Amino acid sequence: MGGDCGNIYDLRPVSIIRSLPQIKDHRLFQLKLEDGGTWESFGHQPGQFIEVSIFGKGEAPISISSPPTRPDTLEICVRRTGKVTDALFEMGKGSTFHIRGPYGRGFPVEQLKGQKLLFVAGGLGLAPLRSLLLYALDKRKEFDDIILMYGTNNPENVLFKYELLSFFDRDDIQYHYSVDRDDEGIWKQYVGVVTGLFDRAVLFPFATQVVLCGPPIMYRFVLQKLLSLNFPREHIFMSLERMMKCGVGKCGHCAFGDKYCCIDGPVFPFTEIEKMKEAI
Amino acid sequence: MKTLAKKDLIETLTIWAQKHDVLCPTQTDPGDCIFDTFREKTFTLDYKKPPLSPKAVFFPHSEITFKVENNEYREVVSSKNTLIFGIRACDMMGILQATSFMSRDQKDIYYSAKRNMGMTIVMACPGPQNETCFCTTTHSGPFARKGFDLQFYDVGDTFLIEIGTPGGEALLSAIPLTDIDDTHAEQQIAKFQKKALRHLPEVKSVAKAMKKLKDDKADEKIWDSFGQKCITCGGCAFVCPTCTCFSVYDHQFSPGNGLRARIWDACLYGGFTKEASGHNPRASQALRLKRRHEHKLLHYNEIDIQGSLCGCVGCGRCSDYCPVHIGTLEVVKAIAES
Repeated sequence: MGGDCGNIYDLRPVSIIRSLPQIKDHRLFQLKLEDGGTWESFGHQPGQFIEVSIFGKGEAPISISSPPTRPDTLEICVRRTGKVTDALFEMGKGSTFHIRGPYGRGFPVEQLKGQKLLFVAGGLGLAPLRSLLLYALDKRKEFDDIILMYGTNNPENVLFKYELLSFFDRDDIQYHYSVDRDDEGIWKQYVGVVTGLFDRAVLFPFATQVVLCGPPIMYRFVLQKLLSLNFPREHIFMSLERMMKCGVGKCGHCAFGDKYCCIDGPVFPFTEIEKMKEAI
Repeated sequence: MKTLAKKDLIETLTIWAQKHDVLCPTQTDPGDCIFDTFREKTFTLDYKKPPLSPKAVFFPHSEITFKVENNEYREVVSSKNTLIFGIRACDMMGILQATSFMSRDQKDIYYSAKRNMGMTIVMACPGPQNETCFCTTTHSGPFARKGFDLQFYDVGDTFLIEIGTPGGEALLSAIPLTDIDDTHAEQQIAKFQKKALRHLPEVKSVAKAMKKLKDDKADEKIWDSFGQKCITCGGCAFVCPTCTCFSVYDHQFSPGNGLRARIWDACLYGGFTKEASGHNPRASQALRLKRRHEHKLLHYNEIDIQGSLCGCVGCGRCSDYCPVHIGTLEVVKAIAES
C-alpha cells in the first residue's frame, strides 16, 4: 500500500467471519479479506490501525487488536459510538465492508524483544495493546517478564474477559486487574484506579519497557506514577487517540505540534511528546 | 533574454489556450478580480491581489474521489492541462508548499495528477498589492525565486521573460517574441526588483513572534482574547494558499451507490479534532486559533516551506478577509507585543 504508485486511499473489501459481543456497545469483529489477499501479506504490526469504510456512513480509524502471529483473521474491537460503528453493529456474519491500511507506526517490537514488558491499559485502551500482548505471548521466549495492568470503571466493563481469565492458568504472565467502583461487591481483585496496581506488583523499572493506552485522564496519573518509580523516560511508549480521517497524513485532523498522529503515531515514545501540551 | 510586447499578450494567451485551460486575471461584473478561464473580453492586466489564492486549481473546494456502485469503489482522478497566468510570487510559494506537503511520504494522487498537468507563469509584483502584503518578510516575494515555469517582469510596453523550466521554455516556441540584450535585461530586472523590495519593508513582528513561540515565551492570554472574538467562519483557512486540510463525506444516491468526495475543512471548527469518545484535544476556540497560527509559524515542516521563512507566504489574505481582525498580521503583532 502507499508509496509512490497507486492511490493511497484505495480500499479493500472484507467480510465479517464473526461478530463477538464483548460488553455493552462493544464487539470484537473477526475479518476476512475478500480480494484474495492474506493477512500475512497485509503485513500489520502490533499497534497499527485500519480505516473502516462503510459507504454512506464514512470512515473511522480502528486499532487492530490481533497480532500478526495469528494471520487467520484480523480482529478489531469496536465501541459503538458513531455513524460508522453504528452501521458496523448492524452487520452480521458474512456482511462485507471496506478497509484501508494498515496505517501508522506501531510498537517498536524489535526494541522490546528480550526486555520485561509492562502493559498498562484502561478501558478500551486494551484493544490496541492486545495486539502486542498476544504477539509477545505467541513469541513468549523472545521476551522477558510480561506484566499486565488493566483497569476499567466497573466489573461489567471488562473487555476480553475470557482471555484475561485464561491468564489465571498461565505462569508466564503476571496480571493485575482493577475496577474503579464495585457497587455490587462482586469484584475479587483490586478496587481503585489503575495506578493503585503499581503497589501490588514487583517492578524493575530499569529493565522494563512500558506500553500504555487508555482514556486521557489515565495517561496523566500513570505517567506521574511511572516517573515517580524511576522508570526511564525512554522506556515509555504510548498509543494516542485522535480523530484520524485519512490515515496517511494529508487531511490534517490528527495533527498536533509537528506530528501527525496517523503517520508519526499512533504509538509515540514518551520522550517525543512529553513537552507537547496538547498531545493527550 | 526574450521579451514579449504587451500588445501581443492577447494573441499569446489565445495560442496557449489551444492546448491549455489558461487561467488568468479576469474581471467579474461586480468588479472583482478572480482567476478564471481566459476570455479576451474579461481578461485584465489591471488587477490587484485576487481574493482567492489559486490553490483550488489543484485542490478544489470539493472533489469527487470515488464513484461507488453496488458497494464497489472506483477511483475518480480528474486533471487537465492547465496554465495559470499572472499569479504573484506569494501564491507561487503557496503552490510549492502545498505540492511538497501533498507529495511527500505518500503521494496524494488527486492533488498531484492536477499539479503535474499544471504550468505556472508568475507576474513579478511591482510592489505591495494592498496594505496587508508582507511577502518580503516571509521570503516568498515580491518576485519568485523558484517553482515557476516562466516569470514575467512588466517593464512598460514589454514583459521580460525569465525561464524557470524546460516546459516553460517550450511554451515560448509558438509565440511572437523579441530578443533583448541579456545585460540590459538583467539591469532592468534588477531595477524592477529593487523598486519592488523598497516598497515592501519587513514586518519585524513576524520574526519576533516566531522566536517567542519557539522559546515558549508567548503570552497564552492572547489566544483567549482572540478566541473570544473568533466567529469560527473558517475563512482564513479557505483564503490561505497553504491550508490544505480536508474532510471526507459520502453522498449516497441509494444504498451502496453514490459518491465519496472530499471538501475543504478548517482547524478552526470545533468538530475538527473531536474524537468519537467525545473527547476533544482542542476543546476551545483559543486552542484552535493557537494551533492554526503555531502550525504556520512554529510547527511548519522544513521540507515543505521550500526555502521560505515559514508556513505562511505573506499574502495577507487572512488579514484582508477576517471579519474580526484575526489575520496573521494581527496575531504576530499581538504575540510580539505580549
